[in-house]
Amino acid sequence: MYKEPAKPHTLTNFTTALDQLRSSVLRMSSLAQLNLQNSIKGLLERDDDWCNNCIADDEEIDLLEMQIDHEGIEVMSRFQPVASDLREVISSIKIGANIERVADQAVNIARRARKLNEQPELTELHLLDNPIRLSLTMFDDAVRAFAERNTELAVELKSRDKELDLLNKELTDTLINRMQDDSPNLPSYLNLIFISRCLERIGDHACNIAEDIVFAVSAQDIRHLGKQ
Amino acid sequence: MTSTAATSPKNFFSDAGKKTSLLRLFRNHFLTGLCIAISLLTLVPLFSIIVLVIKNGLPLLSTNLFTQLPPAPGLDGGGFGNAIVGTLVMVGISLGFSVPLGILAAVFVNEYASVSWLASVVRFVAKLLTGIPSIICGVFAFAAVVMTTHKFSALAGGLALAILILPTILLTAEQALLGVPYAFREASFGVGATPFQTIWCIVLPEAMPAIMTGVMLAVARAAGETAPVLFTALFSQNWIKGIMEPTASLSVLIYNFASLPYAYHIKLAWSASLILVVLVTLSNILAQVIFAPKHH
Amino acid sequence: MSTEEHAATPTEASEWPLEPTNNFAPGENNFIKVDNFKFFYGKKEALHGINLEIPSRKVTAFIGPSGCGKSTLLRNFNRMNELIPGVRHEGDITIHGTSIYDPSVEIIALRRRIGMVFQKSNPFPMSIYENIVYPLRIAGQNTRSVLDETVERCLRSAALWDEAKDRLNDSALGLSGGQMQRLCIARAVASRPEILLMDEPCSALDPIATAKVEELIIELKKDFTIVIVTHNMQQASRVSELTAFFYLGILIEFDNTRKIFTNPSMKQTEEYITGRFG
Repeated sequence: MYKEPAKPHTLTNFTTALDQLRSSVLRMSSLAQLNLQNSIKGLLERDDDWCNNCIADDEEIDLLEMQIDHEGIEVMSRFQPVASDLREVISSIKIGANIERVADQAVNIARRARKLNEQPELTELHLLDNPIRLSLTMFDDAVRAFAERNTELAVELKSRDKELDLLNKELTDTLINRMQDDSPNLPSYLNLIFISRCLERIGDHACNIAEDIVFAVSAQDIRHLGKQ
Repeated sequence: MTSTAATSPKNFFSDAGKKTSLLRLFRNHFLTGLCIAISLLTLVPLFSIIVLVIKNGLPLLSTNLFTQLPPAPGLDGGGFGNAIVGTLVMVGISLGFSVPLGILAAVFVNEYASVSWLASVVRFVAKLLTGIPSIICGVFAFAAVVMTTHKFSALAGGLALAILILPTILLTAEQALLGVPYAFREASFGVGATPFQTIWCIVLPEAMPAIMTGVMLAVARAAGETAPVLFTALFSQNWIKGIMEPTASLSVLIYNFASLPYAYHIKLAWSASLILVVLVTLSNILAQVIFAPKHH
Repeated sequence: MSTEEHAATPTEASEWPLEPTNNFAPGENNFIKVDNFKFFYGKKEALHGINLEIPSRKVTAFIGPSGCGKSTLLRNFNRMNELIPGVRHEGDITIHGTSIYDPSVEIIALRRRIGMVFQKSNPFPMSIYENIVYPLRIAGQNTRSVLDETVERCLRSAALWDEAKDRLNDSALGLSGGQMQRLCIARAVASRPEILLMDEPCSALDPIATAKVEELIIELKKDFTIVIVTHNMQQASRVSELTAFFYLGILIEFDNTRKIFTNPSMKQTEEYITGRFG
């Protein structure tokens, strides 16, 4: 379901402020996408430069998170949004926080990758290919769903997250088994497990973003449905 | 940044057309002065009358004027107590007729049936009546009362005056009622008051000062009118004994005495004028004090 | 639009229940029931078949742009509209199951059971005391002790007692705007009504006075069924439990206030409350 952006407000300032908030979130998310890609590149190509780029650029994302919070608070205090506008502002703030965590996970991956790069390459690195692909597309799709206000895509992300969780679990088991056979490389195996965990977390954040999108667009709360 | 936006504060105001501003300034002052002068001019007749009346009326002023009867032609001394009483009685009679009628009609026209044809007719007729020459009222009262009772009387005079002032009272009372905010009526109806309760407890008390202003205007007019009284109440040299007797009044006394060839009588007419003016003014002030809005 | 076919009643549960309590069940407790009500100013149809059920002891807000009919409907509950010449109505309004247009219902009695507070505070030009006892006096009650008791009760329930108790005999017109409006509320509850109608009661007040009146409204709903017309949507969302949105003489949506202001069902409601109208 693709929802048309609503009619502009009678108050143009209000529309401008909402647009500004939205574009801040979009800018932050594309920066986070880039950072994530950099850290993965550093990991797969065993290149510390990419990793360092990723770690250095995280600061800008942190600043953007604060900017989004401020913009959201300003919209709320100046225009007292209600209904869809209110949901949009609240969701934007929450999405901002989730993107920031995704970027943090990218930094974690980059740090682990630098440690891996100091050690001889492990063939098991390529066991990460699938989780990497899955978590990256999940985050990309979450960003796309936000940009398009696409709730169907957002809902679909939740099922893909289960897949990622499963992959992570399998991978961790495999790596623990290898560890026992190859104890000299134990730190590297541990790093791989941590990276896998980071990828799984990125999937979780993508899911959170998706939930916020669904709330913003259709006012439905799809969180924790399975547990009830 | 454009050059106009960079105007320094110093020449910010002087920029706006220095040449025309002198002419404008002059025109402004000239017209203001003219308005003041013309307003003052309108005070001239009023003040000349007051000054003239005081100047000519004061010399004879004494308590005798109030207690004694008019002198026979050619004689000096005496006063016009009977005319003062007569005027008061006739104004009283006229108010007795016209105030209840006028206010009740105004209440009907404004509160009960403001858009009905009857209200429109009443309003239209009242406006017509205000323009009727006072002598016509006298003629009517003469025909209606004097001819039927075969007697000149205070009642006939009062009735003539009542007809004269009825439209004034009706129209000013209607304006007074219109001046009561609709919110008061709404509030009263809102707590379950009947239309009668609303009018009696809220609307009339609130409109009373304005209504009384109208009544006082009417009193001033009635007390000063000569024509309707001239051939309904006629005149009398004696104290009033009943309302079915010919009765003296200040206005008729002034008219009569002023046209007499005796200097003393003319002086008496001046004094009567002074007392008439003072009486009307006093009653006006009194009414304003008594009916002043207490809650504003 | 479904609102025209059957009575709009609040949905039992909003789509994202923040708290599970929603003790209002449609059809029950319908204190004021508006049944296919149409209202005409001369030839102009101001209300087009309104169906609405207002529960007792709750605050119901009517919102909508100017001329949408919300005040017209409010003023029909105590038949105040009939003071205007050339009006007529179709359909029915019942309160507690009795039609307000029933020939046995006296309009005077009706208005004594339904207090009304107006947009512009309109205390009578009398003392504070006389303002409050006016509804009693016109009903023939002149016993001093009853009047005294009423004045204190009403001023207390209008949260004005402490400010006014030492100046009961002063003119009501010497009060501040907010105090005047609270005095009008005190006067409106003097005849012990069950329903309080408020027609934009805060539109002429500053924010502090508005807050006091709003606080009072929330306090009063324990004892009264309150219907409030307001242009201030924040006010509607602050004080009311149910909100009805009117547009062009039609009831567009009637639901729990929380639902209306977070996720209205109708597009017009959404556009109106978010400020995207027209």
